[in-house]
Amino acid sequence: MSADWPEGVGRVILAETDTTLAEAARRAALGEGPCWILAGFQTAGRGRRGRPWVSPRGNFHATLLMRPKGGPSEAALRSFVAALALRDALVRLTGLSQAFALKWPNDLLLNGGKVSGILLESLGSQGGVDHLAVGIGVNLIAAPSPDQVEPGAVPPVSVLGETGVRIAPEALLDAVAPAFAAQEAALAQGGFAPIRAAWLAHAARLGEAITARTGTTTRHGIFDTIDPSGALVLRTPTGLETIPAADIHF
Amino acid sequence: MTKHNHEADVAFIQALAELLNKNELTELAVKREYGEDDSLEVRVVKQAAVVQAAPVSYAPAPMAQAPAHVAAPAPVAGPASPEDPAQHPGAVTSPMVGTAYLAAEPGTPPFVAVGAVVTEGQTLMIIEAMKTMNHIPAPRAGTVKRILVTDGTPVEYGSPLMIIE
Repeated sequence: MSADWPEGVGRVILAETDTTLAEAARRAALGEGPCWILAGFQTAGRGRRGRPWVSPRGNFHATLLMRPKGGPSEAALRSFVAALALRDALVRLTGLSQAFALKWPNDLLLNGGKVSGILLESLGSQGGVDHLAVGIGVNLIAAPSPDQVEPGAVPPVSVLGETGVRIAPEALLDAVAPAFAAQEAALAQGGFAPIRAAWLAHAARLGEAITARTGTTTRHGIFDTIDPSGALVLRTPTGLETIPAADIHF
Repeated sequence: MTKHNHEADVAFIQALAELLNKNELTELAVKREYGEDDSLEVRVVKQAAVVQAAPVSYAPAPMAQAPAHVAAPAPVAGPASPEDPAQHPGAVTSPMVGTAYLAAEPGTPPFVAVGAVVTEGQTLMIIEAMKTMNHIPAPRAGTVKRILVTDGTPVEYGSPLMIIE
């Protein structure tokens, strides 16, 4: 465990599991947490809406189980906290900063390719949340081939492939845990404003044309900003549209 | 990438009509852009039905009969107002703005269906915002009487999602 590992947060290393998100949910039901759970290998890794997430050994698959105060909308702000923390950690470990950018809401891009996926799950409980699980996958040594992802999606890349830097999953865990704690402290002190500002400072395609696909519609427009709830603000010919959930295509 | 075709349009319009009925709306307008110079604009309108019930008057019985037959005064309903599901005592409302999903992922069975008996804490649906999947638990045990949202559609804070009695 690294010297700057956040106090009071557990560190669980598993050789293998189905998904660390599912493991977090099981542990939450037993009253555990907060803790980080890292798995060497996932047998059933998944992304948004059940998309498979290829989880070979050597890549990073981890989930932070936490019990945040506040309602589900505030819990969802951890999407940005997690993306910023992961960026901080990878910048520190690779020594590269300009190569990394953020794609709404929480994808990390490396040289314009998708190097990570972050998916959060919360369980509601009478206006608040019982627990929140922040799942982070990073292509450290291997990325799926472009034909394994959806047509039109950002092409996947790996840290090793793009930078030549080989990072061990546990080393990334030891960097991302304190980075998350630091961003979380910023959220606790200053609310979403400092997180929002930091996120926008590293945002990809801000002011440029993007496409937002939701379950039922597709909207084109200029990526204007993110609002105080974190929702994407799209400038369309008919005015500004605020979008809380969508797949973004460039 | 989905190819925009006639069949899909018909299915889409049909889904809108169902949405209209299900949520007791009178009008729904949607514009879908498929690409340059390829869009679909639909407006579905339902003639608002006259919902006001005809006042029912109970004429006094012409002759007093056996007292056992004296009817309790009929509850007089005021002008029937369109029912607001959010005010229903069994309503489960959305704790956040986002997109509603009735199943864990596309192609899997929904968490619950109308008529299902649920236990307290059982997941009813997911509301997504900022790639956070928030599971909405049943606030109490009961039976799912109505599902007021369709899969993949946006919901507002406080929107009624389901009625559980």
